Amino acid sequence: MNLIDVAAAPWWAWPIALFAVSFLIGIVAVLAGVGGGVLFVPIVGTLFPFHLDFVRGAGLMFALSGTLAAGPQLLRSGMASLRLVMPLALVGSIASFIGALVGLALHTQLLQTLLGILILGIAVLIWRSRAVDTEQVEADALGAFLGLEGEFHDSAAGATIDWRTHRTVLGLAAFAGIGFIGGIFGLGAGFANVPALNLLMAAPVKVAVGSSALLISVINSSAVWVYLQRGALLPLIVVPAMLGVMLGSRIGARLLGAMPAAVVRRLVIVVMLLAGARALSRGLGL
Amino acid sequence: MSDRPTRELYAWSLDRATKAGFVIALSAFLIYVSGALPAYVPVAELVRYWSLPVDRFIAVTGAPQGWAWLRLLGYGDALNVAAVALLALVTPLCYARLLPVLVAERDWLQAALAAAQLAVLLTAASGLISAPG
Repeated sequence: MNLIDVAAAPWWAWPIALFAVSFLIGIVAVLAGVGGGVLFVPIVGTLFPFHLDFVRGAGLMFALSGTLAAGPQLLRSGMASLRLVMPLALVGSIASFIGALVGLALHTQLLQTLLGILILGIAVLIWRSRAVDTEQVEADALGAFLGLEGEFHDSAAGATIDWRTHRTVLGLAAFAGIGFIGGIFGLGAGFANVPALNLLMAAPVKVAVGSSALLISVINSSAVWVYLQRGALLPLIVVPAMLGVMLGSRIGARLLGAMPAAVVRRLVIVVMLLAGARALSRGLGL
Repeated sequence: MSDRPTRELYAWSLDRATKAGFVIALSAFLIYVSGALPAYVPVAELVRYWSLPVDRFIAVTGAPQGWAWLRLLGYGDALNVAAVALLALVTPLCYARLLPVLVAERDWLQAALAAAQLAVLLTAASGLISAPG
């Protein structure tokens, strides 16, 4: 099933439809607190006629453009920490680069199947995971060496919060895995970054969310080049997706206070379950 | 030690480079879809073949790979690939801006991390290691 009748549709219907879908994903992703890439790849990969190679390339640019745009504000507010991001992004971007090389070498059917399983798994992860504001922890030796600590002013709490992280080796390993999967499937992987930073490494929720966006902007930059060099970035797919998500994210941010986030989050989980099942059935040839 | 000065510098660089990148990307896209420049792969052909895996798409259309699009900037689609590439260069540019400041501050650890990151991103961009076709 495609969104538009492939044979009958004029060429310009596709970028317009893609812009509209990306715009909606941009709104919903902000309201649900998930990265848009995790919705973009399975939805566009199953509803549009583009090959998964081009959808994954566009998915990386989709996630990259949103995080590049958000980065300056997150850095200035102290929610994104460069000290935290730099070592994790280095490991993640190497893994993402390798993941992109592997992803472009895999057979489409296998990719579809794995994507379906992954999206179903992520839907469960989003359903089950709850971010927590952690107590301040003692830094481990590697974390202290890397200076993984900082402070930010929480305007909601009216306080300046000092933070540091722990379990640095596990954190680095987690970001290697996240980067690898993101590179294969063209995902931003914000769904995994935030739990890894918050639940595993004990970064405060706001620092985890802010640093996750900056991490995606660095990690995706390496994988994007693999797709670009391979010829898998088609402007007619990439640019409407980028523009749609940027506009949608802005609208989503404005609606944030007015919309019932829990309802939107449940809606996202249902959409992911449907898109994941569809990708899985395509991969298995059902 | 606070990382506020480096955060501010990175934020400033990121802000400027991203805004410029988006303006260029939007302009190039309007040129492409308006037909102001011819497309290397005509849109009618693109629509017919974009459901193919990338290697077969390249074989059928002759679309450029690697840095070959640099020689084709008179075509609307290649111009757009250049604009997308500029956005993919934003992060390496920010790291390149940060590196000399970290060296000047003798923050050797952060400088080493920034240099290593820059090396990874430039290796990826160079196409020296590419996906098998």
